[in-house]
Amino acid sequence: MRCKELEAVLEQEGVGPLPLEAREHLANCPDCQDFFADLTAIVGAARQFPAEVDPPDRVWISLRAQLTAEGIIREQAPVGLPGSAPWWQGISEFFRPRVLASVGAGVLLVALVSVYVARRPGPPTVRQASARSQPQNTETASSVVSAPAPQPSQRVRVKTESPHSPRVSVPTPPRGPMKDLSPSPSENAFLGETAGVLSKTENDLPGPSNAMADAAMRANLLTLNEFIAECEARLKQNPQDQMTREYLNVAYQQKAELLTVMMDSGRSEH
Amino acid sequence: MWQRNWTKRSVVLVFGAGVLLCAGSLTLAATPDSQEKHFKVKDRPLVVLQNIVNGRIEVKSWKNPEVVVTSSAASDKVAVDIEQVGDRIDINASSLVDSAEPHEAEANFQLVVPEQTELQLKTQTGLILVEQVNGDMKLQSVAGDVHLKEVSGYIIVRTTGGSLVCSLCSGKLEFTSISGNATITQPALNNVNLMTTTGNILYDGDFIHTGFYQMNSGKGLVEVRFSGNDSFDLKAETSTGTVDNQATALLKPDSHRDHSTSNNFRRGVVGTVGQGLAKVELSSYSGTIRILKRD
Repeated sequence: MRCKELEAVLEQEGVGPLPLEAREHLANCPDCQDFFADLTAIVGAARQFPAEVDPPDRVWISLRAQLTAEGIIREQAPVGLPGSAPWWQGISEFFRPRVLASVGAGVLLVALVSVYVARRPGPPTVRQASARSQPQNTETASSVVSAPAPQPSQRVRVKTESPHSPRVSVPTPPRGPMKDLSPSPSENAFLGETAGVLSKTENDLPGPSNAMADAAMRANLLTLNEFIAECEARLKQNPQDQMTREYLNVAYQQKAELLTVMMDSGRSEH
Repeated sequence: MWQRNWTKRSVVLVFGAGVLLCAGSLTLAATPDSQEKHFKVKDRPLVVLQNIVNGRIEVKSWKNPEVVVTSSAASDKVAVDIEQVGDRIDINASSLVDSAEPHEAEANFQLVVPEQTELQLKTQTGLILVEQVNGDMKLQSVAGDVHLKEVSGYIIVRTTGGSLVCSLCSGKLEFTSISGNATITQPALNNVNLMTTTGNILYDGDFIHTGFYQMNSGKGLVEVRFSGNDSFDLKAETSTGTVDNQATALLKPDSHRDHSTSNNFRRGVVGTVGQGLAKVELSSYSGTIRILKRD
């Protein structure tokens, strides 16, 4: 048997009991002995890892909320982590404040981007819910226009867009009575979840590493928090205010990115 | 007597020499660690500069196929590594200690690059200045401003609080910031996407036919100054802010789109200037949108 043939055998059979020819070659070939030893060590190390890593609770909660909201599941099935924690969870607890927060921010960022991308089909088209015609708010020749006080009872249909995403022009949809579009429970749950994760991440921020940059980042975090609070308050009063929702989404995304930068900045120095 | 004078003179001399030596050492320690390196390149190079300490980055171009990197670190607590791999130049500046005074954790860079160069620059608090470079670039800063002059390509600028000043730029521009302002003057940009949460936006220039321009500010002012020869469709919307339309005479009703773009939660202006060849979308959550024709 040659070295390549032994490699093929190891590839197929693993490091378990080897055929006689393979064992004979292995006994006389120092290179293959080294290779076999390395392979054995790798396999041994791999076996030390847990077979499966459960995602955090919030992933299940968020998933369940979304599935329930979309009517895919109805029963109150027990969802959560297994009762007995594996041995490695003690180690993960040690890293929880930073690493999980960072991962949380990352997951959040991805989720936000997904939602953001999914919600940019075209320019917003608003139809009044009722069939009766409504006066146009759009003005083409006014000098100064102020936004009116919103009326929570009035429901509108809005094709969403992000305030800063590229928008694609779409043909004008046919006129006619449109259905109401309220924010879905999953969307509201998502926003609540987002705020929670970001808040936790903010509390777990590491200490300053670059004083000047850190001061700037903290000042901007404060700015973002104020803006988020403003949007949230308005959205609470007017859940169908799509523009506020879009700006809130962008603010959440910016906050997630900022927190990630702040954590990376602090971690790199410690 | 003579011997006493000689002894006194010797003591003074030795003391003076000591003082001079100390002063010299202090001067040496305070002198920034400066270095200049030259890198020959063949094609369009890529320069990647990661400055995780504070400092200014200045990039200018020349016609030679060579990249010159001049760096100066404010103290020996900052390490500067420069490496060339083919046409890629990697520059890294990092702090060697956990906590350094702000003036110590500083490295400044001056780059001279071929006109056709791609850039990826990142710094914390210093200014990023790029002049007369043609190539895609991604520029990131926490608190430092970004000044661009006569640059072209796909330009991405991200800051936390730093502002963007872009004059005579062409190509595609993306700017994202939390509190930074964006000032775009005399542009030849055909795709613009500006987003700042609390900063202001000023766009003073022409809109290229078939161009697409989006400018959004959460709480700041969005001001657009266009010329009478421009041709674009305009949509300006705000949630709780105001739209100050000072170009009523030039803005005709938009013939290209459905006008029902407003509702009870947003108000705005929709119209067309000229034939409506470019597309301009402005929005501000609670700030002011100002539209005017420049003199």
